[in-house]
Amino acid sequence: MIFEEVLEPPSRATAWLNYAALLLTMIAAAGILTAALYFQYTAAELPCPLCLLQRVALFGVCFGAMLSFRHGFSYANSGISLIFSVFLLIVSARQSLLDIYPRPGHAYVGSAVLGLHMPVWSALIALALLIGQAIQLALFGGSRRVLDTHVRVFPVIAAVATLVSLYVIALCAANLVSVVLQCGIDQCHTFGYELLSPPPNSP
Amino acid sequence: MMAAVFATMLLSVAIGWFGHRTLALACFGICLALSLGLFLYEVYSPDYGFRMPWLQVERHDAPPARLMAEIPS
Repeated sequence: MIFEEVLEPPSRATAWLNYAALLLTMIAAAGILTAALYFQYTAAELPCPLCLLQRVALFGVCFGAMLSFRHGFSYANSGISLIFSVFLLIVSARQSLLDIYPRPGHAYVGSAVLGLHMPVWSALIALALLIGQAIQLALFGGSRRVLDTHVRVFPVIAAVATLVSLYVIALCAANLVSVVLQCGIDQCHTFGYELLSPPPNSP
Repeated sequence: MMAAVFATMLLSVAIGWFGHRTLALACFGICLALSLGLFLYEVYSPDYGFRMPWLQVERHDAPPARLMAEIPS
């Protein structure tokens, strides 16, 4: 990788915009994951297995962005984010189709925000991520300087990206603890927290 | 299984940030494979496979009168 300390103004602006777009994507994903965890514990809305897989997909989107901040921007890292964006769309679309008709075992679909339930929001978020990344690649993908410029050239973006990345790692650890509390190491269900519920024979 | 998915994802992001990119990508590959497997396991039903029999389409040559009655003129 060529590390460019001094860039021509147009190239510098392009590289700055590219990293700013990556940072915004990661902040948005981290915000959504924080909201999901917040609603889980304040509104007592236990996530279903497909909901948890959607969280994994959002962490995957963050993972691709984090690699670009840590090791330099590359199409391989963008590909990782795209793979998980597509995975998010597939899981959320399937869950929307599962919940479209209330039936035994699938009667509860959670609360709605602005009239839309969470799987529908998730599908819209996946679409927004895909469109955003497509626009980012279309606008900045043709510039060789974008590939050769490390985020260290932009200290403010690098500092914020470091903070957000560390927050995403902490959030992922919190989700792992939450999943173990809810599911143990077995199959997930939405009846309660596996490790917090009393054993069946307790008084 | 879900715990394994989140554990490998945590390893991916942590190693990707603090350590080695190749090792992080290996964890990422395992996480993706586990996620895909778990997704297919969750949506599969012994009764109707991957189909969703509650989704039905019905062909009408003209809109059903019942639906037309609900539309305000």
